[in-house]
Amino acid sequence: MSLKVNRRKFLKMLGWGGAGTALAGCDMPTTVTLEEGKEEVVSYLMPEEYVIPGIGVWYASTCTACEAGCGLHGRVREGRVLKVEGNPSSPINNGNTCLMGQAAVQGHYNPDRVTSPMMRKGGSLQNVSWEEALAELNKRIGADSGLKADKFGYVTGTISGHQSVLVDELMEQVASKNHFVHETVNTTVWNAVARDMLGDETPKYNMAKAGVILSFGADFMGTWGSPVHNMGEYAKFRKREIRGVLVQVEPKMTLTGGSADLWVAAAPGTEGALALGIANFIIDRGWNTVDVPAEVRSSLKQYSLEAVEKLTGVPATKIKRIASLLSERGPSLVLAGASTTNIENGYDSAASVMLLNLIMGNVGETIEASYKFPEKSLRPKQGNTKDLLLLAKALRDKKLDVLVTYNVNPVFTAPDALQIREGLAGVGFKVAITSFPDETSLLADLILPANSGMEEWGTHVPAYQPEDSLLSFQQPLMEVIHKESKAFGDIMLSMLKMRSSDFNKFADYYGYLQTAMMNMPGEGTAEERWNSMLQTGLLKASGSQTALTPRLVDIKYDVEKGSDDYPMHLLPSPRLGMWDGRHANIPWLQEAPDQIAKVVWGSWAEMHPKKAAELGVKNGDYVKITSASGSIETQVYLHKGMHPDAIAVPLGQGHEEYGRYAKDRGVNPMKILDPLMEKRTGELASFATRVKVTNAHKFNLLIKMGGSESQAGRKLVRTISSDVLRRTEGEV
Amino acid sequence: MSLKNVLENFSYFRQDAESGGTHKYEHRFGMAIDLDICTGCNSCSTACYAENNLPVVGKERFEKGQAMHWMRIERYWDEQEFEGDFAEQGAKFMPMLCQQCGAATCEPVCPVAATYHTPDGLNAQVYNRCIGSRFCSNNCPFRVRYFNFWSYYEDSWPEPLNMQLNPDLSVRDKGVMEKCTFCIQRIRVAKDTTQREERPLKDGEFLTACAQACPTNAIVFGDTMDPDSNVSKLWMKHQVQRGPFTHKKEKANEELRGYRVFEELNVDPSIMYLERVRDTEV
Repeated sequence: MSLKVNRRKFLKMLGWGGAGTALAGCDMPTTVTLEEGKEEVVSYLMPEEYVIPGIGVWYASTCTACEAGCGLHGRVREGRVLKVEGNPSSPINNGNTCLMGQAAVQGHYNPDRVTSPMMRKGGSLQNVSWEEALAELNKRIGADSGLKADKFGYVTGTISGHQSVLVDELMEQVASKNHFVHETVNTTVWNAVARDMLGDETPKYNMAKAGVILSFGADFMGTWGSPVHNMGEYAKFRKREIRGVLVQVEPKMTLTGGSADLWVAAAPGTEGALALGIANFIIDRGWNTVDVPAEVRSSLKQYSLEAVEKLTGVPATKIKRIASLLSERGPSLVLAGASTTNIENGYDSAASVMLLNLIMGNVGETIEASYKFPEKSLRPKQGNTKDLLLLAKALRDKKLDVLVTYNVNPVFTAPDALQIREGLAGVGFKVAITSFPDETSLLADLILPANSGMEEWGTHVPAYQPEDSLLSFQQPLMEVIHKESKAFGDIMLSMLKMRSSDFNKFADYYGYLQTAMMNMPGEGTAEERWNSMLQTGLLKASGSQTALTPRLVDIKYDVEKGSDDYPMHLLPSPRLGMWDGRHANIPWLQEAPDQIAKVVWGSWAEMHPKKAAELGVKNGDYVKITSASGSIETQVYLHKGMHPDAIAVPLGQGHEEYGRYAKDRGVNPMKILDPLMEKRTGELASFATRVKVTNAHKFNLLIKMGGSESQAGRKLVRTISSDVLRRTEGEV
Repeated sequence: MSLKNVLENFSYFRQDAESGGTHKYEHRFGMAIDLDICTGCNSCSTACYAENNLPVVGKERFEKGQAMHWMRIERYWDEQEFEGDFAEQGAKFMPMLCQQCGAATCEPVCPVAATYHTPDGLNAQVYNRCIGSRFCSNNCPFRVRYFNFWSYYEDSWPEPLNMQLNPDLSVRDKGVMEKCTFCIQRIRVAKDTTQREERPLKDGEFLTACAQACPTNAIVFGDTMDPDSNVSKLWMKHQVQRGPFTHKKEKANEELRGYRVFEELNVDPSIMYLERVRDTEV
């Protein structure tokens, strides 16, 4: 094989640097002739052959609506993708989908996509050809551009598979370390605690095996981990021989809280104290199944029932009941999510919660070793908000000359106090690889139109791999709609070719990916493996399981004190549907009512009726929410799934750009967050901002589904006690 | 169709609920929806938008109650929560869609027989025949019939969103009533296939879009005439039968979870709900 680069390098470029990787022979059946560098690529879709009018054909691919990596089957008819369903062979979603997956076709066919490369000329963005766009890019980042390593930055969301390999390659070529991986909806703090206390960032949380799940704000059905997978596990948990019990502790009822047997509102920010109080009570009664060191016992003593009741506002009887549930209905599983972890002492709060798993012996029982994909370079880089803060700092310090963003929108997702918008003005050349004209892209100097997730090739390694180690394969479900848009992989290859001739041998990303995948170790011929991947949309690799090593960490728990000026807690709550705001341009999701408030097409704030009465506001009245960093005004919706000291404003709305469905609709609570940091992980403490709420003396009808909050005695949804269930369906 | 024909048909079909059935059904499609594992996530209703060319109506029309969601998730707060400080038992979710009643109140009031009963047990709507009197919607106790007050196609699918439209069914125009069809286009394909292959319909051979999407598999869809189908087994297990209303107390085991919404109206709904469960010990 007459490769100009050495074999080891070649494999690394393909994301396969592992020992024992075998390279297929020269007679490798591929449409791209590597040796000769020919660029004869056969189109992936050959309509003449595949299209039978009136008959839908299903292709396997991967959902890119969030980071969970669910397997999809896309129905293609006459060359158009019409609908997606879950891929039944994917252990992530087992054939099911969530609303974001269902609505992804509207992202693909969205009328507001970027359809042509655009360049800033004389202050305004103008359509240009790809040649001109790439020539300009080459001038800025090419080998002769004189670009200084540390002056180059790249911002993406969670990224894995070969897309991640290409970004890594580019960063290496430029010798820059400034790859910022940003996601607003994440479980970073909890993962850090799991890493320190269990020895694995993302162990398998076996919900189906648990008899009781105690969740401190972990909205595992909506925005925590792998939602569709979790919902499937939740169904098994409810259908256990003895029905599982869900206890949810949070200041704002999430989708998960809506299904709780017991929903508890602790004073916002005191969830860690409640966890420690429960732990203390359990140890006091001797219900713990794992021995606890004496010093931990004594340090827990201060969390007596009385003290915790006073601190959290949760009655002692309830704390006792939760503790006895954990001991009687075990095995238990205890989780923490955003409202508990995204505060200034979030790590310690989460560690207090994790402590319960340790003392109840859940490690090895309901928390199991997970699978890790064997090839490290393909594993995901999980997005967080620490990188957002780092990006803000780099911008503030004017450290970056060239910044590339790919499908991220930090101008929208960052608090105004971080001054991302102002910082971007100081960057010499900004490149946005994007499908949509969002707030960040429209500030760029060069916009490169990216294909939708249904138009391109890709590989995804989900971070949460509960059943098996797998790579989820993304293939185009149709030809590109806008002929000027390009696959992310192709744009990356173009950029890499500007830096190194090593990549000239790949005509396009398809060729690159096919070479990479066919060179993978596995059974059968390379072609058989490739075809199987196209058919199943999956590649299962014998992944390694890391054994869990439970250990205690030093918990320095301290409840944060608020100030009298800003007495209430602002909860910028993410939700399944809008997510962090990236789906606000999808009409189906705008019209899908919020699961709890049932509001459509706009923003609202959720408050407890008691607090509202103090302010003199009713449903539909506007309130002004003011933090030290700014203020927003929106309508209230009142319900009793709120702590009276908290006000929740759902994420997703308040776009200033982002197409006709999203623009100028509602408010964005992220804008008024104080730039507070979680102390141990450096994450943005997004649930730590204190606000004052005042009556804005304005009213509008709140547009929501359903006129009645109550069933008015009609018994539409009937509820029975689990004792009855045990009598009728308990014996399986 | 003459008025005589309509009336004759009406009395013929009407006998079903009271006298145990005179229909020559080929299938009777039905559902079982487990409210204990329904999380209220909205995946089913979004899948319905995708499958059935449902238009997005926008905020102003939504305010007027003109939304076209054939399937909606109703959310109720517990009665007891109006007294207590907190919603301690979570929210109550209920997927509400056309119940495909065996003795539907929507059918006999249609002046033009646009809404009729199919041999598959569905309340079907013939769009071409509908004159928009809205009597059917007025008569539906479940409020699951949706009227096209506007020509939604004019602004619901700006190009290229229109490319997503499912060619297996029409886009409806102003003045026409529409409703959940149990994905009749999927039923049609499955029936054609089985006919061609000369075999009976298999349980699970096809699902409605909502049942297929549901992340917890709370929706079980199938033919209630096939005693081996999953949905039949569930109906039998919970002692819920087709036909007139039987009071819970008349069941062999009155504690079973199965019930049909508003079954006391004797409309013979095809959807059995399973009661939500809450642990009283917590």
